[in-house]
This record gives sequence, C-alpha cells and structure tokens, in this order.
Amino acid sequence: MSSAREVAAATAEALERTTAAGLNATLHWSRELLDREAQHADQVRRDGGTGSTLYGYAVAVKDNIVTTEQPTTCASRILEGYVSPYNATVVDRLRAAGAMIACKTNLDEFAMGSSTEHSAFGRVKHPLDPARVPGGSSGGSAALVAAGAVRAALGSETGGSVRQPASFCGIVGVKPSYGRVSRYGLVAFGSSLDAVAIFGATVDDAARVLNAISGHDPLDSTSVAAPPMGRPDSWDDLSGIRVGLPREYFPADLDPGVRAGVERGVAALRDLGAEIVEVSLPHTKYAVPAYYIVAPAEASSNLARYDGVRYGVRRDGDGDVRALYQATRGRGFGAEVRRRILVGTYALSAGYYDAYYLKAQQARALIAEDFRRVFDAGIDLLFTPTTPTPAFRAGEKTDDPVQMYLADIFVCPANLAGLPAVSIPVGRSEGLPIGAQIITPYFRDSRMLSVATLLERALEPTEEVR
Amino acid sequence: MSIGEQEVLHAARLAELAVEEAELPRLVAQLGSIVAYVEQLGELPADETAAPHLAGAPAAPLRDDTVRRGLPPASLESLTAEFRDGFFLVPVRGTMAGG
Repeated sequence: MSSAREVAAATAEALERTTAAGLNATLHWSRELLDREAQHADQVRRDGGTGSTLYGYAVAVKDNIVTTEQPTTCASRILEGYVSPYNATVVDRLRAAGAMIACKTNLDEFAMGSSTEHSAFGRVKHPLDPARVPGGSSGGSAALVAAGAVRAALGSETGGSVRQPASFCGIVGVKPSYGRVSRYGLVAFGSSLDAVAIFGATVDDAARVLNAISGHDPLDSTSVAAPPMGRPDSWDDLSGIRVGLPREYFPADLDPGVRAGVERGVAALRDLGAEIVEVSLPHTKYAVPAYYIVAPAEASSNLARYDGVRYGVRRDGDGDVRALYQATRGRGFGAEVRRRILVGTYALSAGYYDAYYLKAQQARALIAEDFRRVFDAGIDLLFTPTTPTPAFRAGEKTDDPVQMYLADIFVCPANLAGLPAVSIPVGRSEGLPIGAQIITPYFRDSRMLSVATLLERALEPTEEVR
Repeated sequence: MSIGEQEVLHAARLAELAVEEAELPRLVAQLGSIVAYVEQLGELPADETAAPHLAGAPAAPLRDDTVRRGLPPASLESLTAEFRDGFFLVPVRGTMAGG
C-alpha cells in the first residue's frame, strides 16, 4: 500500500495535469493542504487501528459541501471567497477514516444543472472529448475520477446529479437512500431531495466511501437512526433475484447506443442467473415536471438567505435595504439559478400554488407508490438506462432549459421517491461511455452494491456495444 | 396558463431579484416554456391526494413533544453585570453614522 504522502504527491501531480489539460474540474486545492491532509491521515492510521478504512484515498469534494480548510463557493459569485466555520459531517467522517481531502470541485452553480456549464467559474470539460459536457451538476468530481486523478469523489444529488455525470464519464455513481448519509454541511438546494452521493472508479471504491460516511447524525434531522452501511456481501451469482425492466424507461426514441449498452447489461444479469421481468411504472412521465416544481420551490426558500448581509459578496443597490437585496441577488446569482428561483417563487405564489406545487406533490406520491407496488410484487431491483443519450456537446442545450432538464428523465424518479440507485458503466458507443442504473427498495443500498459488483465483473466498460 | 412580463416581474419582486429590462423578453420566453412543460401535471386526476412524500420520515428521530422548563429571567440577570428591561447592557464600542 502506498503511504499517504506518496498518494498526496501523486494526486497533486494528477490535479496539475487535469488543470493543464483544461478540464477546469477543480476550484480550490494546494500542495500544502494535501501535505497537511497526508500528515493527518498518517496520524489517524497511527491512532486508529482498524479505523483507517480509507487510508491511501484522496477524495475530491464538490464545492457545495462545506470545509474549513478551503473556501466553499457553490460555483457562485454570491459566495466567492466564503469559508465555512465548520466542516460537513461527511468531511469529518472521511478524515476520521484516514482519507485525504484532495480538492474542492467545480459544479453547476448551487448544483442547478445537468452539464456543469452553469458554473460562475467556467464550464467543466469531458475528459474523453473536450467539446462535450461531463454531465452535472457534479461534473468536476466526475471528471476527476474519470481522468484518474482520484479514486473517489463526493458529489450531491437533488435530481440525479451524480448518476447522470457518472454515466456520461464512464464511472460508478452511487445515490444512497435519503437519510442514509448526513446532509449537515451540504449547502441546501431542495431539502426533501438533497443527498450526498459518491463517485468511484469502481463499485468497491464507492462502497468503501459510503461505508465511512453513512450512519446517523444528530445534526441532521432527516438522518435515519441506523448504523453505517456495512461493506456489501460478495455474491457468486444472481440466482433467485428478480430484475424488473420498466417499459417507460425504454422509449422508442432511446439512443441506439444506450439501448445496446443496457441490453448488454440485461444479458449479463440473465447469464448470472437473474430472472428478467418487464414491469410498468406508469407515472414516470410526470417525474421531470414534478421535479422541476418541487426542487425550484424548495430552492426559492433555501436560497433566500443569500441577501448580501449574511454571506458572501454584497452589491450596493440604489436605495433602501430591498434595493441592496435585489442588486446582490440579481447580479450575484447566475442565469440558471435566477430562472429556478423565479419558477419556484411563481409556483408557490398566490393563485398558482394549487395548480403547480400541490399537483407536483401529488405526482411525487404517485411515483413513489409506483416503485412500492413493483417491489411489493416481488421485484428485487430495477434495471434501466441512466441517461437517454451519451454525453452531449457543450452549448447544445443551454438555450432550451426544458431540453436540458430532460437529460435527468431516468434519474430524478429515484430522488423523488428517496430510493437508493447506482449507475455503472456498461460499455461505449462511438467512444462515449454508456451507463446503466440499478434501483432497489429503500435502505437496500448494500444489496444494490452487491449486484453492481457482480455486474461490474461481468462487463468490460470500455468495449464498444454496437 | 401563460406567463407574461407582469408575472415574471411579480415573481422577481417576491424573490428579491433585480431583473434587467434587456433580459426580460428572454426570461419570459424561457419561463413560459418551463411552465408550459409542467402544465402536463394538470392531467392528474383532481381527486388524488397530495400528501407530501418524504422517504424515511417515520424513522427520522424526533425529540419528545413535552413541555420543558426554560431559563427563568432571574437566572439571565445573574449572567451579566448589567441587565435592564429584559436586555443585557454592554459597553458602547462605536456608533452608527447619524446615530
């Protein structure tokens, strides 16, 4: 095993290479901080005995997860230079397990986006094709894992912001059950949906990190009173496992490369002994419209705190304190954040609340009920494409927000229902990675990762699928 | 339901967001397309319940809902050298302009 100092030095060199290549995946890091992280990791190893389960891991952290040693900007001008007085629980738990915090990574501003083109500090480039996007909103974390700079990274999901970029970049992305991992110190976007999520070069890398950061946290009232997720059991095959293929996730216009990749995954599941069954989740078509009401509505409330008084930058308005608020928020937030705040405020405003917000809540309950019904009928897990297409070109969807939102069509239902889900690479189409998604019942995260590990062993992720 | 300039400006006022006049037409068009897209939620039957869904909520730890004794005013007074009319008195460190 390499020492923490060796890993820190190698990580610094790798981060410099990604910077030189123009990925724009990092927002803050330094060799000095990495050295200090290595010293801390060595101390944990000396003191911790079996506690240092992540010794030798340098973990990149999305810049909407607060850290005391580096700024936390959420890739927004409104938080430029902000340094938190406390660490997120997940950051403390990573370091307690012997991991080093490698850097803070670029994202769509306040995690609002599906391409990491909406960062105030420039877009992140796809490691395999700089003309394309890495997905989002956790695109910086995904790009660093895909480029081999780190073995694991933290991102966050509100509507699929880890699984979607994991699929685009050809790596593993795990969204734990809602409440499995503490949200304390994750900058709030849509609180009923937000979850810290994990990228790994392999399922094992992601599982190790989830093992270290999960478990009850009294500082987060939505944290479930349960012990940390254990390491997934090693399975020999999938005998007795019933896999559901929801027909709504295989529309006629699904990208042919994505279809071929997922079919390759289905064949591997069958070869491993699983029974494949077609199922229906009839309210799936309402997931994106429901998500784009619920999440902006919660965001319009959560982001009210950025008013130029308590956090970050202040723009003087021409007049009273309201002018100061309006000028700060009008100029401090980028276009996508302002759009979502306006949509959320509109949906909650008098006269529109029943038509939009209540309807979205109704759709959310029906989507959760669809999942419950299928799992109660004896389906152990669902297998679907992660995204409708491989990584798209930068600029292709920035002028049409609805087209951008549809990139999340297969990932946001699990967020609405609070279920665990993982995306794993199943091959490539014309050189671009294809991801497939496994969704399991609530709190079956470990079982989900056991299946993902078997599938990972059965598939060569860089093989062309058609 | 269509969304126009007045609706966008009203939402911007509620959200304390300055909107430049030049960006208004683009915002109206983009918000209009988003609102038109989410209109499909109106297809859901009106008699369905809309109870908020939050995974795991029943298991979330809650403090016992019991009345507990708070700090009595007398103990607050004992924490400070000077206490008057419910306020702690502290040394003046500076003054606001005009005050």
